[in-house]
Amino acid sequence: MWQRFTLDDVRTIGHYLGVLILFLAAAMAVPFVVALAFQEWKPAANYLLSIGISLILGSALRLLRVAPARLSRRQALAVTGFAWIVLAFIAAIPLYMSGHFNRFVDALFEGVSGLTTTGASLVVDLDHLSLADNIWRFMMLLLGGLGLIVVALALGLFGKRSGASLYSSEGRSDHLVPNVVQTTQFIAKFALIFILIATCILTVVLAFAGIDPVRAAFHSICLSITAFMTGGFTPMSQSVVYYHSFPLEFILMLLMLAGSISFTLHAELRKGRVAAFFRDIEVRTLIIWVGVATCVLAASLSVSLTFNDLPTMLRRGVFMVISSFSTTGLQNITTNQLAGVFSSGAFIALAVCMAVGGSAGSTTGGLKLLRMGIMAKSIVSTIREALAPDSARVVVTYYRLGRRRVSPDIVKEAMTVFVLYVSTYTIGALVGIAHGYDAMQAIFESVAMASNGGITSGLVVPDMPITLELFYIFEMWAGRLEFVTLLAILVEVVVSILPAKLRNRPHKQESVL
Amino acid sequence: MRATMGNRRLCGARAAAVAVHGTAVAETRTAVAETRVAAVETRTAAARTAAVAGARAAAVAVFAACVVLLGVLALPPAAWADDENLVNPQQRPDSSFIYDTAISALNSADTYYDGQTVQVVGEAVGDVINADVGGSSKWINLSAKEQGVTYSIAVFMSETAASRIDTLGSYGKVGTTLQVRGTFHLVCPEHDGVTDIHANVVSVVDSGSEHPDAFSLEAFIPGIVAVVAGLVLMGVFYRLRERQR
Repeated sequence: MWQRFTLDDVRTIGHYLGVLILFLAAAMAVPFVVALAFQEWKPAANYLLSIGISLILGSALRLLRVAPARLSRRQALAVTGFAWIVLAFIAAIPLYMSGHFNRFVDALFEGVSGLTTTGASLVVDLDHLSLADNIWRFMMLLLGGLGLIVVALALGLFGKRSGASLYSSEGRSDHLVPNVVQTTQFIAKFALIFILIATCILTVVLAFAGIDPVRAAFHSICLSITAFMTGGFTPMSQSVVYYHSFPLEFILMLLMLAGSISFTLHAELRKGRVAAFFRDIEVRTLIIWVGVATCVLAASLSVSLTFNDLPTMLRRGVFMVISSFSTTGLQNITTNQLAGVFSSGAFIALAVCMAVGGSAGSTTGGLKLLRMGIMAKSIVSTIREALAPDSARVVVTYYRLGRRRVSPDIVKEAMTVFVLYVSTYTIGALVGIAHGYDAMQAIFESVAMASNGGITSGLVVPDMPITLELFYIFEMWAGRLEFVTLLAILVEVVVSILPAKLRNRPHKQESVL
Repeated sequence: MRATMGNRRLCGARAAAVAVHGTAVAETRTAVAETRVAAVETRTAAARTAAVAGARAAAVAVFAACVVLLGVLALPPAAWADDENLVNPQQRPDSSFIYDTAISALNSADTYYDGQTVQVVGEAVGDVINADVGGSSKWINLSAKEQGVTYSIAVFMSETAASRIDTLGSYGKVGTTLQVRGTFHLVCPEHDGVTDIHANVVSVVDSGSEHPDAFSLEAFIPGIVAVVAGLVLMGVFYRLRERQR
């Protein structure tokens, strides 16, 4: 029997969503201060108003339940699921007020894209966007990349009682240290240190390239966040092409690689367990997968008329492969080159890279390498069982912080998520085709949205059809939550709305009995 | 050398003989001229009538020439063209220079544009980026807005050309509007496959301008009111929670 939300559930969920909205109001203080510092008075006024609206809304929601009880698993799922879309609405308010979006849905798209670290953008005239608005876009990437719940837990916003259920509801299962709050604090600290170091290096690189030091620092912060959080936003409309710098692209590649590795594995490396790092199923899958993808892309490009010389292929091809599989979405080729000059084989190879994604427990999207590795192991297990004698008991294992058995439950979970992702990619492609777009581009764009990859082949533009835009928003949201959380809350909402007569209808099998 | 001297002597003797013969002929011609003077006066009247007739003949000749020329031109080209001046009917019109190309067109360009000379107009935005270690060449981003969408293209130019930019477009700044004529590369072989224009001629169409935000307290009032209201609500929440404890 389906469970439904009670009024008590709604009040508790509302309370915690209110906490998250207040947290977002505090985060808006960053662009507000930037706007004041650079005398961008209009954005400053916009952010002050947005902070005020967030305070009112957040406090009002908290008043729904003044002293909430400990969150149940169902409630935690609902808080996590709704948080991404509710906070995107709030985040879209100052963006829309900037005047750089044609309609509010475009700003909402930007908000969802930022928080889910997809990186597809609908800003009009990005090159004239204020520093404050730009910083806000990267703040969204930072919060979304770390995980809204992770950041909130790290800051102790939910107290100590509701931590574990919320943490696991965001698709995280790794416990670097026994305490969930300490784990989230480790993740946040580690990411911030990485971003800080990268910012310093990139500032020097950009200053050498002739960019004014203040602007170089601004660009560096943005690029470090976007690369490590595998986001994809850039402060300039030409993405990474704008900088014409190979050293910068190389550092960004390293950052994207680091961002696509699980925080748990980073912790292993930090402890000096290098052997354990390289024995991990995800690291091995990553090495094999990136090698295969690069070879396929290189083979495809080498027979085309352009991009077929070695330096060009290495510089553009390898960067695009890493950007795709890490679901970052940074581009060192133009959208026109991607859709019109790249060979169709290379185009599809990048889409497949995005579809698979990076490591579980990292900032990447997509299916995740761990699931791909487990499914590959499951195939091996099936073949071995077929060949083994009846009396034999086949055990296949994989290495993930120690030797683990490929159990039916793990395979089932991997297969379920795999089917959900592939179904969403397919449905999204059909929606694109139904809007009259080229099939190849529709497939590519659907994969880019659902995997939170963000590389666009030209369909995501400010005047795109609103129905397609709304579907892409749903894809980004669903992909970030890896479907299960979202489907669970959608079912609960539907069941809660349905009349009792329909809800309690006996099953066919029960009536027969 | 000796042969040349001999030739000169021979020519001198021939010239002397011709001179003696010329003097005798001149004397006889003078006598004939005197007898003809009387006849000239009688011929003048006849000459006038002959001139009119000559003019008519000339007009007829010109007319005939025109008819012949038109006839020649009316003939098919192959009838009078020689092998070295063949006409290629498949020759395309000269398209090596595309005047006033839109940046949006280059943003969706196919191979037709590749390697062509183009001329674009756009606002210089962002930063001037060194294209080499010494900074003798620069990268500039040109941006143009069309139908609500902004398009941009990277332009590779000399330091001298880049120095003409007085303002770079950003928030509160309109960058210098440049007209750039240069070669468009869809996949530039010189710059590892980037799409760019290698500028040959850069001219300033319009200088940049700055329009910083003017501070207005009125603009902040809605925000201040909303923040105060939010803080009051928050205070109410904490008060209620304290009471419940």
